Parts: sequence; C-alpha cells; structure tokens
Amino acid sequence: MGYKITKKENLSAIDFFMEVEAPHIAKSWKPGQFVVLIPDEKGERVPMSVYYAKDGKIGMFIRRHGVTTLKLWHEFHVGDEILSITGPLGKPIEVKHYGNVVFAADAVCAQAEAYATLKAMKEAGNYTIAIHSFENKANTYPEEYLAKPVADEFYITTEDGSVGRKGHYLDILKELIEQDKVDIVFAGGKLGSLKKLAELTRPYGIPTIVTVRQIMVDGTGMCGSCRVLYDGEIKFACRDGPMMDAHKIDWDDAIKRNARFAEQEKLAREIYLAKLREKGVI
Amino acid sequence: MAGPKLIKERVPTPEVPVEERIKSFVEVNLGYDFVSAVKEAERCLQCNPAPCIQGCPVHINIPGFIKALRENAESPEEAVKNALRIIWDDNTLPAITGRVCPQEEQCEAPCVMGKAGEPINIGKLERFVADYARKHGIEKELLKEFTSTENGVKGKVAVVGSGPAGLTCAGELAKMGYKVTIFEALHKPGGVLVYGIPEFRLPKEILDREIAKLKELGVEIKLDHIVGKTVTLEELLEEYDAVFIGTGAGTPKLLNIPGILLDRIYTANEFLTRINLMKAYKFPEYDEPISIGKKTIVIGAGNTAMDAARSALRMGSEVTIAYRRGREDMTARIEEIKHAEEEGVKFEFFLNPVEFIGDENGKVKAVKFEKMRPLEERDAKGKRKIVGTGEYITLEADTVIIAIGLEPNKIISEEATGLKTNPDGTLVVDENLMTSIPGVFAGGDAIRGEATVILAMGDGKKAAKAIDEYIQKKRLPA
Repeated sequence: MGYKITKKENLSAIDFFMEVEAPHIAKSWKPGQFVVLIPDEKGERVPMSVYYAKDGKIGMFIRRHGVTTLKLWHEFHVGDEILSITGPLGKPIEVKHYGNVVFAADAVCAQAEAYATLKAMKEAGNYTIAIHSFENKANTYPEEYLAKPVADEFYITTEDGSVGRKGHYLDILKELIEQDKVDIVFAGGKLGSLKKLAELTRPYGIPTIVTVRQIMVDGTGMCGSCRVLYDGEIKFACRDGPMMDAHKIDWDDAIKRNARFAEQEKLAREIYLAKLREKGVI
Repeated sequence: MAGPKLIKERVPTPEVPVEERIKSFVEVNLGYDFVSAVKEAERCLQCNPAPCIQGCPVHINIPGFIKALRENAESPEEAVKNALRIIWDDNTLPAITGRVCPQEEQCEAPCVMGKAGEPINIGKLERFVADYARKHGIEKELLKEFTSTENGVKGKVAVVGSGPAGLTCAGELAKMGYKVTIFEALHKPGGVLVYGIPEFRLPKEILDREIAKLKELGVEIKLDHIVGKTVTLEELLEEYDAVFIGTGAGTPKLLNIPGILLDRIYTANEFLTRINLMKAYKFPEYDEPISIGKKTIVIGAGNTAMDAARSALRMGSEVTIAYRRGREDMTARIEEIKHAEEEGVKFEFFLNPVEFIGDENGKVKAVKFEKMRPLEERDAKGKRKIVGTGEYITLEADTVIIAIGLEPNKIISEEATGLKTNPDGTLVVDENLMTSIPGVFAGGDAIRGEATVILAMGDGKKAAKAIDEYIQKKRLPA
C-alpha cells in the first residue's frame, strides 16, 4: 500500500512542489492543518504544510533540507509511491470576517499555506493582503504558486532586492500597520522572523496567528516532542496548533527546541549526499 | 488415589546472557521448547474450580490448555493444536499476552502451586503454544476453523485504534461473522504494542504475525486514518452498524517544573516511539534520529520506565531510574525489574524531581530532586503516602526520560461533541461499554486511563459481545 506521486515540479533553488494521491486526507483538510509523510520503510515521519487539497490529491511545498526531503527530490518521481501520508492534523484556522487580513510568508511552510488561507478569507468577505518574502531571485517561486489571484493587495520582497521590493515582510507589514490597514496577521516560516513579528504587532494589539514549527514524531499529541511554552503552559504544536497566537509563545524556547537534532540531521545529510555523489546523482 | 508429585520449582526458560543482550534489541527470554513446556505443564494441579481462570481478565481456560499440552506429549503438533484451540476461544493474541501480561498479578497470583512453591509458569506456556503453533504451521490450519464462513453478513463494525483493545475487539467480531475495519492513525498497526514496547520484550515479527492473523480472519486495516480528523465519528456511524473506540491513553503526562523544555528531556512516548516504531537505534541507517548522552535518568517506575531505561542502556548510556516512592510501590512487572537490574540499570528511591538544570547550550545537565519520606498512611491505591523532607539532591544527567504516565488523547472527544468524557478525559461508558452515543462502544485505556494490555483486551472482548447483541437487537423488527 502506498500513495502515488502525481506531480512534481521545481519551485526554486531550494524548494519544490509535489502532489500525492491521498483521497482520505483531501476530503477533510482545511487551511491551517498539516500532514505527516514518510517516504519509505527506513524513512522518518515528517510534518508537511499543504498548498492545496482537492480531487483526492494533496499538493505540498517541500524544502530540500534534510535526508527525507532530499530523498523525495532525488529518488521519488511522478508515478512512484510514498509509504505513508497521514492527516489532516492540527486545528484548522478560524475562517470568518476579520476586516483586513494579512498572510505573511518567508519560508516554505507559509508559502504553501498562503493561497488556501487567503482564498478562504476572501470568500468570507475579508480584504486580503499577501506578502511573500524570499532571500533572493533564485529562491523565489514562479508567480502561479503564489497567492496573487486571491489577494487584494500583493507583495513580493527579497532580501537583496533582486525581485519585488527589497526587504522582508516585516518591513511591508510595518508600513501597513502605520496606515492602519491590518486587522489580523497570519504568518509562518522562519521562527526568528515570527518572534520579531510578535514584537511588531504586540504594541498595536493586532491578533497574530502563526505556524509554530516544531519537531514532531506522530503528529497527534501522543509523543510530546513538539511541546511549546504557551501563555505559561505546555502545549503541543501538533495538537493545539500548528497555528497559534504568536503573542503567547515563548519564542526563545521554541527556536531552541526546533534545533534539537541539528547535529544528527547534519550527519545524516552528509552521509546521504556522499551516497548520491557516489552514485553520480549529484 | 495417588496425586501428581509436587514439583515446587518451575522449569526455567533460558535467557540471552546479560553481556550479549545489552548490545542489541534481541528478545531476552527464549521461551520453552516442547519437552520443557510439557515438564512445566505437568506441574499443574488441574484445580477445579481453577483460581487462575478467575485471575485472568479474559478468563482463558488455563487448566484446559495446559492439560491439552501434556495429554498428547507423544504428538507435539496435536498437543499444541488442541491447546491453541482452547486459548483462542478466549484470546486470539497469545503470543503477545504470553509476553507482556503481568502474570504474577493475574493468573499466576492465585495459583495453588504458588502456595507450595513457584506458581505454574502460565505466561511462558501460553507463549510457547503460540510460538510453536506459528513455527510449525499449526496456526494457519487452525485459523480455518475460526474464520467465519459468514464474514460480513452479520454487519459492519468500525474499530478505532489497532492497539490491544482494538485488535481483540476486531478479532472477536470477525470470528462471529462481522465485517470489521480498523482505523489506525499511525503507518503501522499495533498501537502501543508497536510504538511502546521494545523488541527485547515483544519482537516486531511476533506482533506482525498476530496482526496478519487478524487479516486472515477478514479484518481490514486502514492505516494513516485519524478518526476525528481524517474521518469523523459521525461519518463512521453512517457507514457502520457500530463503532468501537480503542484509542488508548495517547497523551504523555509532563512534569510541570522548571527546565521541562530543555533538550534531551524526552517523554517516554517520544523516546520509545523513535526507537521502536521508527528504529532510531539504527540511525543513520534509518532516518529517524535520536540523541542520547552518557548518563540517563528515567523518572517513573512502571513498565514504560523499564522499557525506556533498558532501551537507553542498549544505546550505550548509563541509566538510573529515579522514583518518588519506594521499591515496593513500583508498578512494573517483576520480570522487567529483574531484567533491568541484571542489565545494570541503577535504582534511586524516594526522589521527587523539582527542577531540570540546563547547560549553556540548552541541553539538560542535571536533575534536582527533593528527598521524600514515606508515611504509614496509605492512598486510595494502597500505596504509602509520601511527603517532602525539604532536603535536596542533584544528580548529573545529560538525558532525561519522563515515564510518569499517560492520559487519554482527546482528538475524538473534541470532535464528536456528543461523546461524554469524565474529568480525567476518559470516555464515559455504561456496563456494556457503550458510550453516551448509541452504537459507539469503547474500551482499554480510553476508558481506564492507564491499565495493562490484557485489561484492554478484556474490554475489547466484552465490547465485541455487547456490539453483537446491540446489532442483533437493532436488526429485530420492532
């Protein structure tokens, strides 16, 4: 038993798009929720954000980062099957009328979530603003993968100014807040940016709901790996999140915990890359 | 009337020597061969009424299977087949229960032989019957007898969770002629048996075989399905005549003390899931990582604590189990405590953790404990109450595993609003194990909080009976 890969495309120098047949998930997934996939027998369980869920298929944006994602890029092709995909996991975000809704993204998970979230928000009568931030031109996605069609206002920023505006979503957001144009912010991506985002919106009392990316195993609240300090209490990012109130998260702890296996990940990645080199794949 | 000669000592079962077993996850106990199993079976007094049956939560006909085993000693195949048939009438998963049941508290506790000497080694005999039958193709033959010819005609039942409760319930219903579908959240079936119990206690091969057996009985298993998320309880009720919830106690309890977020502080569930389900002990051959240091402290004293301690030991760490009560209150099976001690796990009693101390990199480096003192007074569970002494001690540790227990996972109860829960999160059920939603039954840790594999199986069996009655009654014209 497996789940067939139906599409795979490169998005940028670091990220790619993959679509998998998963009717059990596609019919019940809602924006804010994620999935856990395992490529093969020896693989690990990896949480993945979802770009869309439709027609029995799940579209995902994936960063070529660790062994699993490198494996998915180099060894799994359209027509192949992955061992497992489970979901939807976590709580959906609350879709209702907020007024002006911003979705800010500076890394793969949020870039994936922007479109579906803003689509739902627009349908709920909100004014939608998308900000996609990338490091540089090479890391920028093709426009059809961004939230432009569902955004009333749309921004791309790059850190070096090679595409769109020079800067980061935080810069744009600051301007928008000063123009009194922001009623709620949804965001995801780099944890360091989310910490800054929380500090940016806090003095204005702007609700800020963000993806709390943490290392997970089962994804259902069973293992406690993804615990975060939330409003002084222990919460699980998988079960109580993954989108949570940025103002209540202890970001310093969350950032530290997310780097727990950095040494092992590096080792595994080096071994895997050496194997690929040996085979002449890279 | 010459009774059987009393042999006070058990026929021993060989074990892998300590120095070998701490280097790998191979099963520690090697079990009986036929000759020694029959010798042990011959010690049984065949009491009537038999207290062992009463001691067993699923009431296996223990004297019956033991008699069958020794009665046909000249034909091992026949003897084992007869014995297995008797066991299967009450328990379809003997290779598991024979290994993980706390027999000393159940069937073996009231054994009359135990008063004169050592009780009959019932667990190991049960295991022998299951293992021998599997190895010699007897199981396959016998399965035909148990496979219902009317599979599916009596109705359709959904089982949520493939742990001990779910597997048992599914097996019993399939034998009765129901079409059963199990919904499992993980990518492998078995629940706690696969993610929680290490291979040195329950080899995966054994578990896989027990599950394959269920499939041969006609049970379908849908993996990667989280009921409450992937599919709702309401959707299940539209498609199935009844639902059984056996979701276990899937959420770890944490210590609410400073330093709980430090690196290398694991819950036993995370630690054991990485090792057992994801084979992190084979990292980097397997992709799932684990990080473990030179000195591990395991907090808790149940089977899970022993499993975590012995796993950490096998990964090269020195291990100390710290428990806030005394030795006599440890809840782990005697065999597991014995194995842990033999393997070099150290035990510290009357220490209650109050703080985890970290280094400059955010990794745990020590645990601060308050020394506890026992009182004469006992709590509701019969354990001596303890009080803090105001004295503290700090033990070095670069890895900590918290094994202080679990509470039910709330995914289903949060989604299915009509499903009533108790304050501790367990599901409310009536005497037939039916929840507050008609047609939805529950058992195992989902209703008990925390119990044993065999009690969960007992619930699965009882629920199967109740589900059968419920569906048949529903079918009767009003």
